[in-house]
Amino acid sequence: MLEVIKPGLETSVQDYLGRRGHLNLGFPWSGAMDSWSFRLANILVGNEGGAAGLECQFIGPTLKMHNDTVIAVTGADMNPKVDGQPILMWESVALSAGQVLELTFAKTGARSYIAVSGGVDCPAFLGSSSTFHKAGIGGIEGHAIQIGQMIPVSDGDGVAGRRVKESVRPQISTDKSWHIEVVRGPNDDWIDEAGHERFLTTPWKLSAKSDRSGFRLEGPDWSFTEKALNKRPEHGSDPANIIDQGYPVGGINLAGQTPIILVSDGPSMGGFINPYTVPQCAFWKLGQSKPSEHYQFQIISVDEAQEKAREITALCGESSIV
Amino acid sequence: MAHEVELQTAGNMWKVMVKVGDDVKAGDTLFIMEVMKMEVPHEAPADGTVTAVNVAEGEEGLDAGTVAIVIG
Repeated sequence: MLEVIKPGLETSVQDYLGRRGHLNLGFPWSGAMDSWSFRLANILVGNEGGAAGLECQFIGPTLKMHNDTVIAVTGADMNPKVDGQPILMWESVALSAGQVLELTFAKTGARSYIAVSGGVDCPAFLGSSSTFHKAGIGGIEGHAIQIGQMIPVSDGDGVAGRRVKESVRPQISTDKSWHIEVVRGPNDDWIDEAGHERFLTTPWKLSAKSDRSGFRLEGPDWSFTEKALNKRPEHGSDPANIIDQGYPVGGINLAGQTPIILVSDGPSMGGFINPYTVPQCAFWKLGQSKPSEHYQFQIISVDEAQEKAREITALCGESSIV
Repeated sequence: MAHEVELQTAGNMWKVMVKVGDDVKAGDTLFIMEVMKMEVPHEAPADGTVTAVNVAEGEEGLDAGTVAIVIG
């Protein structure tokens, strides 16, 4: 068990792959936003890569161990300490009952991951332990962890001193700018060529009004094709309106003139167009970016996106550990 | 002894409640940041007088760890 001394900022239990296969019921995938760092944390402590662990956002938690255990911290650097002494990230660490793990604010990146040998043990809902707090499901009582709660952990056989090779860790940007892959569509034919050109040449600023549901972007206005401007009234009055449709996970959803990337806890349907989609291989970068950082989007094909995702998955295994 | 109050998160400065010369008590809210559609209040660590305010309402893209306020 881990006792929550300080909860941090919306620290929640997540797993990987999350709650897939239920978008038709309105349940998003959820799951760790930077699943690359998350899976490596689990591998370090001897778990399956997808086992339930903690996602810490911007401000990390303080946790007291109630059993001897092995933990690992990956992702954003929140200056992790045990009983006040710094510990290495990307390495498994043995902790004794009574010891206190403390994470503070993120120096680089935005999301840290804490894996515990055996994995966090909370009941699955629709096949996943991931927290989706808007519906109050998954994780610890359906919400972010709270002060005083006990986080149950399964028995594990993790060992200390295992380390992730430097060459296979995600490289978190330190210059406040990111190159983010996108694939075209599904509604790219509603945007005119000038609009596409602006989208692909502008550094888009990430708004502070961004969370695990949507990443709001600030940039120039969009312009539209006849399909958007001269359509049947049931589509709605705004050029970006369309008859309600299913949304892709990662869709860049154009709410009027404001693009919002639909991320891990995003809506499954609605009445705005999605001219582009951020593929899963780029989600770790979204998960590690901070407000006012800039995104430069680069088009890739669906095949290239899937290949990149496979490359990341290949790194999330025993061959990456020394 | 001076106390430096650092930003505990990256984000935007939503509200600043104090100005130089104000007397504050430990636990008083000094300013509130915004990130992930959430308010993140920062409190005074000790009683004292505000001697420096290095942030302004509406500032965007602030980095965690920046010294925002000094209490003397």
